[in-house]
Amino acid sequence: MLHRLESLESCNYNGMDVAVLEKQAAGLKWQQQNYVVQNSNLVDLCASSVPQFQGLFGSNLGRGQMIELKRPEVFLGSDDFQEFVNFPVAGPEFGDSEKLDLVPHEAAADYCISRTSSCQMTAHNTSVMKEEREDTILEKMESAIGSGKESFNKRKAEAVADHKSKGKRIKGEGESEVKAKCSTEISRDSSKENSKASEVQKPDYILVRAHRGQATDSHSLAERARREKISKKMKCLQDLVPGCNKITGKTGMLDEIINYVQSLQRQVEFLSMKIAALNSSVENLPMKEFPAYVANFPAAAKLPEMAGLPSYFQLNPLQKESVNCMLNESMLPPQTATEGIASASVSSSSGITQLQPFSAWNMDPQGLSNMYNMGFY
Amino acid sequence: MEGYMKEGRRVYPTEPRKIMQARFATKYLNYLLHALTNIGKPELSSTLDCCVNKEIDKMVRYEVDMALALSAEGFAWSHALKHRLRLNVNNNNHAGKSQSYLAHHDDHRTKMPVNHEPATKKLKGNPKRSGTEAAVEEEEEERLTYLRKLIPGGSGEMMVDDEILLSELGSYVTCLELQVNVLRSMLQLT
Repeated sequence: MLHRLESLESCNYNGMDVAVLEKQAAGLKWQQQNYVVQNSNLVDLCASSVPQFQGLFGSNLGRGQMIELKRPEVFLGSDDFQEFVNFPVAGPEFGDSEKLDLVPHEAAADYCISRTSSCQMTAHNTSVMKEEREDTILEKMESAIGSGKESFNKRKAEAVADHKSKGKRIKGEGESEVKAKCSTEISRDSSKENSKASEVQKPDYILVRAHRGQATDSHSLAERARREKISKKMKCLQDLVPGCNKITGKTGMLDEIINYVQSLQRQVEFLSMKIAALNSSVENLPMKEFPAYVANFPAAAKLPEMAGLPSYFQLNPLQKESVNCMLNESMLPPQTATEGIASASVSSSSGITQLQPFSAWNMDPQGLSNMYNMGFY
Repeated sequence: MEGYMKEGRRVYPTEPRKIMQARFATKYLNYLLHALTNIGKPELSSTLDCCVNKEIDKMVRYEVDMALALSAEGFAWSHALKHRLRLNVNNNNHAGKSQSYLAHHDDHRTKMPVNHEPATKKLKGNPKRSGTEAAVEEEEEERLTYLRKLIPGGSGEMMVDDEILLSELGSYVTCLELQVNVLRSMLQLT
C-alpha cells in the first residue's frame, strides 16, 4: 500500500504547486492538533480499509484510487497537502448515506469517506472538522494555483468507486451521535427518507445535496453550502474554546468565543505589563535558561550552535525544572482569566524573591545580545 | 504506527501539535527576548524621565504583539497585526508607539458588556417573541461584528467572508493561547 502512496507524489502537480502548498502548510500546522489523538486508531482504520479499497483498484483511474488510499493518511499528520487540494470540501451530510439503495452520488461518497474515517477513530469528529476546515482554506489556495479541473475529475472517479465501500462502514456506526453533532440544519434534512440529489459543480467544488422538498436553484444551494461551512467552522471553534461543549446555539457559541478572546487578550496585556515591570526593576531578564529550553524541543534540534555555547549556559537543577515546566505548560490551554491572574500574581511574588539569586548570573546586555545573535540567527 | 510512518521518503511528525507549538514558542522567544534586551538598555534618552515606566510598558506591549505577529506567519490576522503595529510606529512619535493599538483595543472592549448575559437573557426570556429567525440572525451578526473588532484585521477586506473570519478566529485563539503560555512561563522563570 505504501508504495502506491509514494507514487502519488509523482502525480501531476508541478513542483511549484507542491512547494506553495507546503509553504502554506506550515501556516496550517496548528490545525493538525487533534491528529495526534487519533493516530493509534487510524492504524486500525488503515488496516481495515485496505481490503475494501483493494476491491476497487481494478475499476478506476489510477489516480483516483491512490488518493482514496491516501485519505486516512491525512490524519497521521502528513505534511502532504496535495490530498487536501483534491478534496477541498467534504460536507458532513450523512442523512442519505444510510440508504444504500440510492443512486450513488458523488457527494455522498466523498462525505462518507471523510466521515467514516472519523467514525472509526473517536466518538467525536473533530479531526474531520479540522481537516475540512483545512480543506476550505486550501480551497482558496487551490483556486489560486488553478489546478481545479484535474482534482474535480479525480474526485468524480474516486467518488464512484467509493460508494460501495462506504456503505458497509456507515451502517451500524455511531451514526446517531455523529448526526447529533452535525448542524441543526443537516440533521433536519437527514430525517428525510428519499432524496433528490443535485450537485453544484462550481469551480471551488462545494458539493451540496438538496433534499426532497427543497429548492434546488443555485442560490439556495450556494446559501446552504455556505451555512454548512460556517457551522463546520463553528464546531472547530467549539473544540478550541474550553467549556463550550454544552452550548448549542450559534449565538451562545459566539458569546463564548468573544469572552474567551477578550480574556486571552487581557491576560496578554497583564503579562506584558508584568514583564515591563520586571524589566525596569531588574537590569536584565535572566534569559540563559531560554536557549536551553528551546534546545529541548525536537524542532529546535536544527540549532547546532546550542552545543557550542559558552559555559554560563549550563543548566542547574532549578532551570531544568523550569524548562520541563514550560514544556508541559505549553501543551495545556491557559486557565481562565480569574485563575490566570490569581496564579500570576502568586508567581510574581515568588518571582521577585527568586530574582536575587539570578541577578548574580546576569551578564551585560551586550554579551547577551551577542549570544543570541550567534545562537538564533 | 511509527514504522508505518517512517517508510518512504517523507517524514511525518509524530506529534505535530508539539512541533507546531515548539516552533511558535521558539520564534516568539527569539524575537521577544532579543527585543526586551534592547529595551533594557538605557537608550530612552529622549523620553521624559517620569514617564519612563509608561514608555517601557508601551514598548514591551509593542514587542509582545510584534512577536506574536512574527511567530504566526501566514494568517490574515498576523499580517494585519504587523501592519497595524508598523503603522502606529510611523504615525505616532516614539512616545506613543503602541498607544493607538491599546486605545482601539480598550475602546471596543468597553462598548459591549464583558459577559453577554444581558443580551442573551433577553432572548431566552422570551423565546417565542424574539425567537424569530431574523432576530437570531441579527444577534449573530452583532456578535460577528464585535468579533471582527477583536481580531486584528477583522474589519479589513481580507476577512469579509464569514468562513474566513471563523478560520482566522481559530488560528488567532490558538496563537493567543500559546502566547499566554509562553509569557507566563517566561515570568515563572524569572
